[in-house]
Amino acid sequence: MNCDAVTKALPLYYYGELTGEVEEGVEDHLQSCASCQAELERQRALAAALDSQALTPGTELLAECRHELARAIYREETPVVRRTASDPWGLFREAFHALWHPGIRIVQPAGAVAMLAIGFFAARFIPVGSFSRITGADVTPDAIVSSIRSVQPDNTGRVQISLDETRRRVISGRLEDENIRRLLLAAAREQDNPGVRVESVGLLKDQCTSADTRAVLLEALQNDPNPGVRLKALEGLKRFATDPEVRRTLAQVLLKDQNAGVRIQVIDLLITRQDPATIGVLQTIVGKEDNDYVRMRCQKALREMNASIGTF
Amino acid sequence: MLPDAAGAVSARAAAKLDEAAIIKAVQRGDPDAFEQLVRAYDQSVLRLAMNLLRSPEDARDVYQEAFLRVYRNIHTFRFDCSFHTWLYRIVTNICLDHLRKRKVRREEAAIVETADGPVDRMDSFEEEGADADPERRLWNNQLSSRIQSALGNLTPRERMVFELRHYQGMRLRAIGDMLGTSEEAAKNCLFRATQKMRAVLGDLI
Repeated sequence: MNCDAVTKALPLYYYGELTGEVEEGVEDHLQSCASCQAELERQRALAAALDSQALTPGTELLAECRHELARAIYREETPVVRRTASDPWGLFREAFHALWHPGIRIVQPAGAVAMLAIGFFAARFIPVGSFSRITGADVTPDAIVSSIRSVQPDNTGRVQISLDETRRRVISGRLEDENIRRLLLAAAREQDNPGVRVESVGLLKDQCTSADTRAVLLEALQNDPNPGVRLKALEGLKRFATDPEVRRTLAQVLLKDQNAGVRIQVIDLLITRQDPATIGVLQTIVGKEDNDYVRMRCQKALREMNASIGTF
Repeated sequence: MLPDAAGAVSARAAAKLDEAAIIKAVQRGDPDAFEQLVRAYDQSVLRLAMNLLRSPEDARDVYQEAFLRVYRNIHTFRFDCSFHTWLYRIVTNICLDHLRKRKVRREEAAIVETADGPVDRMDSFEEEGADADPERRLWNNQLSSRIQSALGNLTPRERMVFELRHYQGMRLRAIGDMLGTSEEAAKNCLFRATQKMRAVLGDLI
């Protein structure tokens, strides 16, 4: 190597980023070239000067950042949570808990379930084609106008507006109540609100005795886009881990679910019973899984079943 | 393998497993695990943001935005890469945005006028090896302002690569991976950054 090539290579040489061959070439040249050695010294001096100006966050700044983060998460995620914790991480825990376990978010799920309840009860109790006449004074902020059907002025300066509206209503009852259970089944499929789905599936999982409840849990496990809902459904299906239909669904979920946490829970559930039909699925996962922990979990399960790790 | 080396490898593997378990707990909604995860990385994130942006306000913004993004998107983390790489992708993207905006806005002054008189925004930072000797401090100030100017001459990408290699000690291959570019491109960035800095700081070193 000549001086020009070595000078160009020195920054990368200093950072140990040259290939072995080039590095050797640089070192050979440096042994016999004072000018390039001086160049290397300048590179080292530059690095030392930069090191002397390195900034380290003060503990106060770090504490402030942590505090602000906790508050930001709290502000962002819990507009309706009853605030009880006083320290930032306590507030943060509440917020985080509320995001994932919306049971403590009292207002939002209650409102959403109530909206759903309106549809359910209205369909059952209000005769089709019935209309009510109200005055402007009756339109309160609680009423949500979903569409205006017609606007008709008359000669007296009044106007008649025909509209569809939904109104918030709160239904309460015991979990064993059939109407409540049916509302929960509907809420478990509430597309726009994962919080309502998590909560509903969480409640249904403890009432998983009827076929329609089990069907909803299986559907949630297979199709719900929210991993929190899928994990709740899995909990509910635990007691059916030996049921052939449930096991078939678990195997399919293991093969296609995108969330490693869900896949791990599925494995745990599948291996509660030593089932030769499970071996093939676990072997497939060992072959294609890119998550080290999930793969390891499958390998361990296979070893415990005295099955071979791979397929041949 | 030597026993020590084997021990180090198994310690690393164990730490990796621990971290995977923590991340899974976060994905399951465990707030304590999230706090643990934040605390494991937040110092280095703040340090990176601070050294890159050299502004406490911007470093705080980056810190907050980065961890909020982690918080909102942790469920999408699929262990395709290490959590460190995933997090640093988020952080470097936010920092690059700041650097680009700043290029458009002009570099901000370190001293700002306030109702209580001029305040040095860098006071929130602790310089490594800060010196009490007045002469040494003067030289340090001079060096600091020249280094600021040298860093200001770099493109946001050059500055990022240099920061990650020099201050964070990351390998160029990992840097390329993080920034969505090749190792070769990262090498070129580092080379150009070094050359530019030597051009500005040449008489001081």
